[in-house]
Amino acid sequence: MQSLSSSTTAGVLLDLSGALILLLAFACLASKLFNRYVAYYGAQSVVLAFAAGTSAVAFHSTELWVLAALTLAVKGVAIPLAARRVLVTRLKLKRDAAMSTGLSTSLVAGGGLTAFAYLVTRPALLPHGTVAAAVVPLSTAVILLGALTMVVRRHTVAQLIGWLIVENGVFLGAITLVATFPFIVEAGIFLDIVAGVLIMIVFVSGLTRELAQASAVELRELRG
Amino acid sequence: MTALAIITALAPLTGLAAALAGARARAAGAIQAVGAAAALGCAIALLVRLDGHPPLSGLAGFLYVDPLSGFFLLTVTSVTLLAALGSVSYIAAQQDAGELSPFQVRLYFSFFSLFAALMLASLETGNLGLLFVLVEASTLASAALVGLEGRARSLEAAWKYVIISSLGVTIALAGTLYLFYSASALHPSSNLALTWPYLLAHASALAPQSLRLAFLLAVVGYGTKVGLAPMHTWLPDAHAEAPSPASAMLSAALLNTGMYAIIRFLAIAHARLGETYPRAVLLSFGFASIVIGALFMVRKGNFKRLFAYSSVEHMGIIAVALGFGGTLGLYGALLQVLNHALAKTVLFLSSGDVSLRYRTREAAKVSGLLPAVPLTGGVLLLGAFAVLGSPPFGVFLSELTIVRAGFAGGSPVFPLLLLALLGVAFFGFARTISGMVTGPPPRSDGAPALAEPYRDRASVVVTAVPLVLGLAALLVLGLWIPAGLDTVLRHSAAVIG
Repeated sequence: MQSLSSSTTAGVLLDLSGALILLLAFACLASKLFNRYVAYYGAQSVVLAFAAGTSAVAFHSTELWVLAALTLAVKGVAIPLAARRVLVTRLKLKRDAAMSTGLSTSLVAGGGLTAFAYLVTRPALLPHGTVAAAVVPLSTAVILLGALTMVVRRHTVAQLIGWLIVENGVFLGAITLVATFPFIVEAGIFLDIVAGVLIMIVFVSGLTRELAQASAVELRELRG
Repeated sequence: MTALAIITALAPLTGLAAALAGARARAAGAIQAVGAAAALGCAIALLVRLDGHPPLSGLAGFLYVDPLSGFFLLTVTSVTLLAALGSVSYIAAQQDAGELSPFQVRLYFSFFSLFAALMLASLETGNLGLLFVLVEASTLASAALVGLEGRARSLEAAWKYVIISSLGVTIALAGTLYLFYSASALHPSSNLALTWPYLLAHASALAPQSLRLAFLLAVVGYGTKVGLAPMHTWLPDAHAEAPSPASAMLSAALLNTGMYAIIRFLAIAHARLGETYPRAVLLSFGFASIVIGALFMVRKGNFKRLFAYSSVEHMGIIAVALGFGGTLGLYGALLQVLNHALAKTVLFLSSGDVSLRYRTREAAKVSGLLPAVPLTGGVLLLGAFAVLGSPPFGVFLSELTIVRAGFAGGSPVFPLLLLALLGVAFFGFARTISGMVTGPPPRSDGAPALAEPYRDRASVVVTAVPLVLGLAALLVLGLWIPAGLDTVLRHSAAVIG
């Protein structure tokens, strides 16, 4: 379990990717169009694949190369494409108005969570000067922003994208924090995500059919 | 031995095979039950062989079975067997009533067996990453069971369940990462280094700061699956909307699998951080769950939701017992896991029979169960007393052990609070159940208004088998803990520390 120094080229690139991934998570939080959610998520995954590739070069790891390729193919292309075709286009989703707070409030909350992520992970946990010290707070912030998206957005599709962003945050942490997850586990995680997205698409479609609008605002029958 | 462990996890897949081969509800259910019985037999054989031997470890650390995992295997396979037996006539009756199509019946058995197999596999793995993969996969399989009926309500419950649990388990994965990170000083390089036994043996070299964060994230993350408050919100909906035998699996098997994951993290946290920090975390979440569970049980409403809140309460009790710690607390916690699993399986299975006959899940619309359907009514009443901790049933013994452990731990505040909350829960639960079992049966135009959901006499008998078996096991555990089980419990408690 080596740790990269943050001053190497790979370290700088990873740091940059992390910042970009955080920015895209913010973009998703601030957007109001379903198309954009999917596009931002796809872009985030492409950057993540780039980060995994950088890690692969730095650690000379074939497994990380495979992971980078899988990330690009599954998260960067397949899932956004499927989400757009099966959910956004077919269900005629355009603007997402179902929010539990105002947009500006949620952005301020997102800023607060980012600061919080730095406060929790920065001081004592991580050795200074390593790339992990730079990227792990970023990835923690991405996890929190994804969760925030799930909370403030009430539409099921927005919640699904929120979960995928959380997943990306964990993955970003994984490739910088510990590059030694056994490959079979990483492959299993990918399989879980694909199966998860599939089953969630089934539920969202079914709910849309049953409720005419698969908005969690309508999900009020079960309470208490 | 390795083969035995693998067969334990694979045996329940007979249901999947039967469903794929196109078997009808009764046949598929019977085949599922045979597979579950085989799994139970293998689990017992594993426990017997583990006695006095070192834990089973193989496949580069991916397979690891010690008494603790053996004990949870025993619990989950027992529940699977009872739930599979309960599925036979329940699912057939649902199909006869036109509630489920033949395709849905095949889906039910496919996902039931996948769910069981994935849970058993997650109890058998030593690798923390693979544990996450299997737990998440079991979430997905069980979500399909929750949404099986395909109506708006069940889809809503399934959506809530899958999205909240997936988020929770992903947070647990973040916790797993921090645990690995805390092991940086060990420079672990092989797969074997990222397994329970390795991390536990080298606990003293873990970095305490990130281990704290890891433990907290694991409790929050896997606690979502356990149904610890405030992450419990998916639980009542999913339990209420799933077919009753699947509710039994959720409550008695899935929640315990989540608890198993927390216990593994707890063992490492104990070894490095001492008692105080894990105790504070577990007591906070535990008491929050007991309070939420007890308060919501006072409300009358859907009886399956009542049982679900009782599960929240009991998971809280187990977390509190783990927090009390000491040999007594850990022993009590594990005994409570088994007792609660049996009691809740019996309750959910009998609730399935009630909802088939009364065609409702509202407690207020059910009355006169005891005179109308004596067996189910009796089992429901006794099962309710069992789950509430009345003697002579097993839960009484385990809750007594937990309270004793609390007093032994020093401050009497926590055990007294626990007793008070148990009292509230008893009041709420007993009030609803007594309304259901007593009174006159509903009548319309002078004739009994109850449906007869089963096609023949044999189905009625098959329905009764798991109820009687489960209740008998609870009674036995209340009167006498077999020496073998006692040894397993002691060895398991020693694993946790």
